[in-house]
Amino acid sequence: MHKSRAVLVVFFMFFMAFSFMSCGKEREARIKIGINAPITGDIPKVGEGTKYAAQMWLEEIEKAGGLQVGDKKYKVELVIEDNESKAESAVKANTKMISEDGVLIIIGPQSSKQAIAAGGVANDYKTPMISPWSTNPDTTRNRPFVFRGCFLDPFQGPVVANFVKEELGFKKAAVLYDVASDYPKCLAEYFKKAWEGINGPGSVVAYESFTTKDADFSSQLTKIKGSGAEFLFTPQYYNEVALIVKQARELGFTAPILGSDSWGSAETVKLCGPACSGLYFSTHYAAAGAKGQTKEFIDSYKQKYGYVPDDVGALTWDALRLAQKAIQNAGSLTGDIAKDRQAVRDQLAKTKDFEGITGKMSFTEEGDPIKCAVIVRISDKGEFEFYKQVCP
Amino acid sequence: MTERLKEIYGSVPVIGWLIGMLVAVVTESAFGAGLAYALYLPKVPALLGLTVVLKQPSMFPAAILYVFLIYALPIFFAAGLTAPWANRMAAAMEALPLWLSAILHLGVLYLVLHLWTDMSDYRLQISKLTMIAVMLTLSINVINGYMGEFSCSHPGFMALGAYASSTFSLVLFRQDRLFGAPILPEFLGPYMFPLGLLLGGVAASLGALVVAIPSFRTRGDYLAIISLAFMFIVKSVFENLEVLGGPRGMGGQPHWATLPAVFIGMAVCIVVINNFVNSTMGKALNAVRDNETAAEAMTVNTRRTKMTAFMFGAFWAGVAGGLYAHELRYVNPSSFGIQSLAEILAMVYFGGLNSVVGSVVGALSIQMLSEALRPLELFKWIIIPLLLILVMIFRPTGLIAFRELNVKRTLGPRVRKSGG
Repeated sequence: MHKSRAVLVVFFMFFMAFSFMSCGKEREARIKIGINAPITGDIPKVGEGTKYAAQMWLEEIEKAGGLQVGDKKYKVELVIEDNESKAESAVKANTKMISEDGVLIIIGPQSSKQAIAAGGVANDYKTPMISPWSTNPDTTRNRPFVFRGCFLDPFQGPVVANFVKEELGFKKAAVLYDVASDYPKCLAEYFKKAWEGINGPGSVVAYESFTTKDADFSSQLTKIKGSGAEFLFTPQYYNEVALIVKQARELGFTAPILGSDSWGSAETVKLCGPACSGLYFSTHYAAAGAKGQTKEFIDSYKQKYGYVPDDVGALTWDALRLAQKAIQNAGSLTGDIAKDRQAVRDQLAKTKDFEGITGKMSFTEEGDPIKCAVIVRISDKGEFEFYKQVCP
Repeated sequence: MTERLKEIYGSVPVIGWLIGMLVAVVTESAFGAGLAYALYLPKVPALLGLTVVLKQPSMFPAAILYVFLIYALPIFFAAGLTAPWANRMAAAMEALPLWLSAILHLGVLYLVLHLWTDMSDYRLQISKLTMIAVMLTLSINVINGYMGEFSCSHPGFMALGAYASSTFSLVLFRQDRLFGAPILPEFLGPYMFPLGLLLGGVAASLGALVVAIPSFRTRGDYLAIISLAFMFIVKSVFENLEVLGGPRGMGGQPHWATLPAVFIGMAVCIVVINNFVNSTMGKALNAVRDNETAAEAMTVNTRRTKMTAFMFGAFWAGVAGGLYAHELRYVNPSSFGIQSLAEILAMVYFGGLNSVVGSVVGALSIQMLSEALRPLELFKWIIIPLLLILVMIFRPTGLIAFRELNVKRTLGPRVRKSGG
């Protein structure tokens, strides 16, 4: 009895001795940047890309000895929080980063499902937030503190429609999309509208849908084949793309299949194999044949992590660079976090002709960038080749 | 010494502990920031140091010291010191009607919570979401615990409640993308919010009626399957209802789920459910669970009992869904899927079936665990299920199962003065 109590006391004292471990360290001013990423959950690959891009950015800053703002060099710290691909956790993570960690700016969340909810929190607490990948207009609508790093669906739909019309000269389109998922559904709608605007009503001969996690598309594809469509547009994610393309070819549908930026993952080619080569999709940037700073980014990412970064990585990188530029343009940091956040937001809103690796960007009133889209062709080697650039 | 401690703290009534907590939170708001600064903590530890454990392990000892000085010491000191007065107070309150005494206790608890969450917005949010989780867990406990059926449609009920109450507040009080201009002036909104929640609850119970009519003709696994199907139906209905935003979801709800609103919601939910399960109906429900034929023979109208309980549980899930929607201010059909079902089931089976206290404990511990373990990323999803498996092995019905909550005895004094 006495022994155990003595052990307990010793243990407690030993433990308490550590409580002064961090004493004596300098309380230096740091710039904290929050990363709200889906590291676990439905889309871990997206979270991984976000995290890697952020860590690469931090390394570059550390190599330079910190972030130069005005005449002072600040140490930068990343606060990476996992949002589990859930809206609730994204909101919790944002609140935590804002009120506990005192971050200056937040990068993320990536999907609209989380970005809309989390953006509300960021705007309430007057903390700037850039969502690199969210395409839903609600993310930034009426929220002066929320920005995004990518173009929106109302732009991308017509891009694909115009491309097909001009380059391939087709007249009859088929669309296959996931009715239960926000992004494919809206993009399919915008595409249909744009296509019918060009070719007149009835030019979308098949408009077929399925629901998330379906794996058999044979009935929809048979209908599409029978409709006499000259090509198929399917704005789906990489796992579904592989299934759709393979099943379409097995059913004897030989016409081209086109996609959107959700195809732009390293996994697409891995899962789809040669069936996907020669297909086109619209996206934010093309990895193969990139030049200048885009190439630098791709090369160092590939060297570090062993694969070519997909568009999430590139967009996150751009969002971080945007943040960095806004912080530097703010001139100096007062140390009062509320004032600094306001200053950074004002600088972000003023961004004009920012040279990002995914193209030139200027922000609109709503915090959406005006930027160009790229049409990419999947080469026979499975690389994403630059084909054409389309600007607004 | 241990005996002596037991003697002192065994005699502290609930009100004594509440006073202790009050002293602790007052201490924190007075000295918390200063102490945190002295201990080289970046800020006041938000959740008793739980969040720093894995993020910045080097700060953990300091956080523990902080928790000891700010919470443990004042609570035990004040509770122990005031025990005689607290007992007298408890005895005096015992003379009052039970509802008044309960309200007084809840008032002090609210005060504690208010002061505590005032220190940090993160705390506030976690507390609110945890209270909503408590409501959800309790409401599913009525069905899965007290009624003994395995229902999987809770996210569906929650979605019905969330959408119904969101529609209510957006149509009436907010300029919005889906419904256009508001009908009533916005300042009325917070007062009408209870009505919106009620509407959410009613929508959910009507949904429950739809499940109940076909499924209660069958027993056991069938209800599980039908209710699971119902959950998917609700989800796809909302995905295809373009009026309610479809898969894009519905955003822009006013932020009415404030601390008092959520606290009152939870308190009413606990009181009503506790009364329900202790009523004749609740006992009949237990009889139906244990042996339906025998219950029928003992003149229990089993069908009506089951229907009522099912709709009752769904009602509270709907109310919780309404609060949830007004806290996150965005709802999306995919938030109410199988993952959310897994979380709700985990909370109820972790805490304990057939027990109000168990539900509270389950919701609280799963919520806190998942906040504390978040920095572990993937391993979080290994540790929490592992814990659940361990609980299922060693306590198959959950941590605190099959225990009735007797409010009168819980709130009463621990030591009775002779003649007092």
